[in-house]
Amino acid sequence: MGLEADVAQLRRGDLDALSTLISRYQNRLYRFLLRLVRDRCEAEDLFQQTWIHVAEKIRRFDPSRNFDAWLFTVARNLAIDHLRRVRPASLDQPISEDGSQDTALDRLVAHDPAPLDRILEKERASRVGTALDELPFAYREVMTLRFEEEMKIEEIAQVLGIPLSTVKSRLRRSLEQMRNSLETRYAGENWLGARRGTSQ
Amino acid sequence: MKDHNKIRELLALAAADALLPNESEMLMQHVRMCPQCSAEMEQWQHLSRSLRQLPTPQPSPDLVQRTCARAEARIIDEREHAWNRRVMISLVLFAWALTLTSWPIVRLVSGGLLSLLDPRLSQSWLGFAGFTSLVWLTGGIAAILLARHQRRERSLA
Repeated sequence: MGLEADVAQLRRGDLDALSTLISRYQNRLYRFLLRLVRDRCEAEDLFQQTWIHVAEKIRRFDPSRNFDAWLFTVARNLAIDHLRRVRPASLDQPISEDGSQDTALDRLVAHDPAPLDRILEKERASRVGTALDELPFAYREVMTLRFEEEMKIEEIAQVLGIPLSTVKSRLRRSLEQMRNSLETRYAGENWLGARRGTSQ
Repeated sequence: MKDHNKIRELLALAAADALLPNESEMLMQHVRMCPQCSAEMEQWQHLSRSLRQLPTPQPSPDLVQRTCARAEARIIDEREHAWNRRVMISLVLFAWALTLTSWPIVRLVSGGLLSLLDPRLSQSWLGFAGFTSLVWLTGGIAAILLARHQRRERSLA
């Protein structure tokens, strides 16, 4: 069954449709929330709160709009409220290097059969993932929506409630900051790991 | 040189596929002729690819189940609350209607048809009206306090 049908069913009060929607979005929504709050327990709690909110307010959702954008807007607003309450400084400051993403990266799915490639792949993902997590909140959200959720610029503008030009400037600054961070940290070595060398 | 610097600013956005078609075309034309920008673009594309290939963190295996249970419990609770509210409103309206109609009925039964046309309010009728108002006022205050208490409990849950 399609997304629109599931949303329509949920609007009619069918709880089976809620279960289907939660399963459909579980990885994407959880990843998005984890990027924003950087804590697995908090991300899981926000995940639950998001769906409770969706279940309660689904009748207010305009079916002609994009459900993805609405869902991620709800999740983002809840994450911001949560951070404002629990760690207000994290909304406008870069995070410290505590390696808290290691557990998430440990679950990396290896596509490459060669052990050395797997190690290099993991190392590269770890570097990029850490640099991404160190970005300020406003940059992190735009980066995860673009590169992980693969949302269009227009959709990102809708989720964040900002103009297209602001989305673009935040994207550019985030990428520049990430690259500077990687180049500074891994000065003198190939900061993107083996892949950079192999594809050139 | 001016074009070169302007193009360099677009390279990061090109890696994010965030350029307009005309900007993209202008960039590609320049990159074909400028080895420096070409190398730079390669770097941005590597970063972009790495970001797109980041592993997806997996939530706890029972997260969907827990979320469904919590959301369903909340929906059922909300439905029950809405039903209770509808029943309460209906009962209040019915009780008000009964009270208002009881006055002329009691007067008709106790004093006959002509007493209905008597505009004077006797002492006993004033007492009845006062007592009824007091009962309704007490009931209203109790209902408000009960609703506040339930709302507080729900927000803590």
